[in-house]
Amino acid sequence: MTTTLWDTTGGDVVKALVAERRAGGAVASGLAVTLVAIVDEKNVVTAEQAATIAAQAHPCRLLIVIRRQVDTSDRLDAEVQVGGRLGPTEAVVMRMYGRLTLHAESVVLPLLAPDAPVVTWWHSEPPKAIATDSLGVLAGRRVTDCSLAPDPIAALRGRAVDFAPGDTDLAWTRTTPWRSLLASVFDASPARARSAQVAAEKGNPSASLLAGWLSHRLGVTTELTPSSGPGITEVGIDLLDGRDEGSLKISRPDGRMATFSRTGQPDRQLPLLRRELGDLLAEELRRLEVDEVYAEALSQSSGIAGLAERSPLRTHLWRDPALTVEA
Amino acid sequence: MAGGSHKAPAPPPQEAAEGARTRFTRVPDGNEQTETAVTPGTEPEATTSQAALRYLDDDRDDRSVPNPLRDARDRRLPRVPDPSALVVFGVTGDLARKKLIPAVYDLGNRGLLPPGFVLLGFARRDWGHGDFEQLARASALEHARTEFRDDVWSRIAESVRFVPGSFDDDAAFDELNQTLVDLEGTHGIAGNVAFYLSIPPPAFPTVLNQLDRTKMADSSTTAGWRRVVVEKPFGHDLPSSRDLNHLVDTVFQPDEVFRIDHYLGKETVQNLLALRFANTLFEPVWNSNYVDSIQITMAEDVGIEGRAGFYDTAGAARDVLQNHLLQLLALTAMEEPVSFDSEALRIEKRKVLGAISIPDDLDACTVRGQYERGWLAGQRARGYLDEKDIPPGSTTETYAAVRLGVETRRWAGVPFYLRTGKRLPRRVTEIAVVFKRAPHLPFAKTDTVELGNNQLVVRVQPDEGITLRFGSKVPGSAMEVREVSMDFLYGSAFTESSPEAYERLLLDVLLGDTTLFPDHNEVEASWRVVDPLEEFWATKPPEHYRAGEWGPVAGDEMLAREGRRWRRP
Repeated sequence: MTTTLWDTTGGDVVKALVAERRAGGAVASGLAVTLVAIVDEKNVVTAEQAATIAAQAHPCRLLIVIRRQVDTSDRLDAEVQVGGRLGPTEAVVMRMYGRLTLHAESVVLPLLAPDAPVVTWWHSEPPKAIATDSLGVLAGRRVTDCSLAPDPIAALRGRAVDFAPGDTDLAWTRTTPWRSLLASVFDASPARARSAQVAAEKGNPSASLLAGWLSHRLGVTTELTPSSGPGITEVGIDLLDGRDEGSLKISRPDGRMATFSRTGQPDRQLPLLRRELGDLLAEELRRLEVDEVYAEALSQSSGIAGLAERSPLRTHLWRDPALTVEA
Repeated sequence: MAGGSHKAPAPPPQEAAEGARTRFTRVPDGNEQTETAVTPGTEPEATTSQAALRYLDDDRDDRSVPNPLRDARDRRLPRVPDPSALVVFGVTGDLARKKLIPAVYDLGNRGLLPPGFVLLGFARRDWGHGDFEQLARASALEHARTEFRDDVWSRIAESVRFVPGSFDDDAAFDELNQTLVDLEGTHGIAGNVAFYLSIPPPAFPTVLNQLDRTKMADSSTTAGWRRVVVEKPFGHDLPSSRDLNHLVDTVFQPDEVFRIDHYLGKETVQNLLALRFANTLFEPVWNSNYVDSIQITMAEDVGIEGRAGFYDTAGAARDVLQNHLLQLLALTAMEEPVSFDSEALRIEKRKVLGAISIPDDLDACTVRGQYERGWLAGQRARGYLDEKDIPPGSTTETYAAVRLGVETRRWAGVPFYLRTGKRLPRRVTEIAVVFKRAPHLPFAKTDTVELGNNQLVVRVQPDEGITLRFGSKVPGSAMEVREVSMDFLYGSAFTESSPEAYERLLLDVLLGDTTLFPDHNEVEASWRVVDPLEEFWATKPPEHYRAGEWGPVAGDEMLAREGRRWRRP
């Protein structure tokens, strides 16, 4: 159940989608969200796989936009999929060439599911300024992934500079299992923290966010130390437990099993798996409201204050790459 | 501003930024151990959140300190229970193997078990830990909802324990008690224990008395909590359920008792509350002004499946109507609770259950039936009396239907038709709200012959979802109206498989959330409805229906007398 359209128009894509839905028995009647994925050609397969997994939890209309070279003639190729290799979702994969790449919204706007929230996801290097991408401006929720940038730490800082409420980053999503475990440890026996440490692979943006979150929530200094990875390998917190000093430590050297140790208690093993991209995306689609806790953690780790108070509205900034090159 | 001992508001952002920026420096080469340090500012409190301030401020009693890592706005973090032990009595039974152990595994797989969780089995088997672990692994492998991962299992397996013994064996319970004490040292469960009684009702008193004798049920002897989970049946009539409640409530505190009605753990049942109270569309018509009648059906295609001993003494009304159907009725008919905490919800359910009226003419308004042999789904099905271990001449009902009323302003005059049966054509549970016909139809009579009542149907299982039936014009030159349905299918809107009811309920037990568990008042109120029916039925033999039919003819006649008909689910 695939329709492939070469050198086509946005109108024909809309017609093909309607026809495919009818043929497929309008499978996706309970659409919850439109997911616009901005993907580099080399990442298309991983993006499709992840979106298919995420769509199992959150039925969505998936619009994959692949921007090819600008300096060629304008052209749109599209593939409409309903109930095909992308699972139960309805999906449109679009390749855009020439100046059309700068006006992708003209194709995407009529394809958005009526009145459903729009999430734009960059499965590529995060944009420097989201406002310059009209596909980011039309979304209520914008998901980037700093770990795909050549310098993830710089990219994370860039996200803080450009931040508006409604932005999130998969580097933050990756910290959820760690944060969940740490929060449950404090549930079981509250204690006061004196300092905290996070050890992770060098240049891991998730570690920076986790450290920012710990500093903000606990009100203590959090040290970041490099380790050989993978990902975040250890979190330690020095405690003042009543009048006694102690510490707790969660270490995960292999990216799978964690050891939890706390002064005066036996060590315990528990699974703390690094999750697949699809699971991360599913978590992002689960809740579409503004993530203030992320804003605070990002604020803390980047040193840029007041991120949560910024306006969630973005206005499109027109930036013509042709002119930029000449200048 | 800098004083940590005041509950000062967070400082202005400007100052915070200044402080943080000066400290956020990168060490030029990686030789030094510290790469970067994220500090909250020049003073430790400078950018500290309100929560952290409260927390730093309080050094008298650590227990009262809010967890600084929790924030209501942080919706990503799930609630994870305290380190605790789940003790399952009757762990070799069907329920434990097919539902409980898989649910424990699924919770572990979803990261919802605390570090330091112990599953402790108790049964009369000559087993070591290894044998029990084998059984548990096999049942998780076969019945778990989520993907089986050896990593996850191996960590659960480390905390699986088994204590052999029979329920009247004092030594075995002493050993169980000692095991729990030991676990505090080895697994840090801090005295938190939930006892799951997956055992036949006659064994309840024995086990409860043992828990009482060994003081295992007494939470005042430990630092942690003690809870008990009881499965239905909660007695077989009002006096017996009172006795049982009395027994359980003397051994445990009332708020430590969790009565499982697994229907309440189902997503669609919880969605019924969302449907009613989160929308503006339905509540205005959810009353006798617009509703003609309500039909609640729980049909099963299976027979009694080896439960002959229990079933023949209970029957359909005690097995299903008293608990599941009346709970569904309560959720359908109750007023809006003032909040969604467990007490507010129970108050509303209790009010509705207390307002249920039984018809005066029980002969005309109740039907009980028993299946005879017949054909079901292309296979021969034997009759109830031919089932294994059913005494000849048994008059136990396998089908029960009743017309109830709810004596409130909202529902005055609206009949609630409840039915349940075994060996019916298909397995389905649904709540159908049947609306009144439009008071005036400006069409020719012949135009609307195919138009019935509007219906809103909540399908609880299978194909969980909601259907709305309404009239629509048939395309063509003539005006002709016929019924169409609009379908919302959970399965296609949210294809992620919903958590199993037991998964959700087990998690709630460990978290101590009683919202989805009926309390003893509700159980007793339900028996007050069922007891008079049972008393009346005892005087007459059941009607008969062939296996594979929608119940006895008398069931259809019961509605036909009032100008209605059963919806075919």
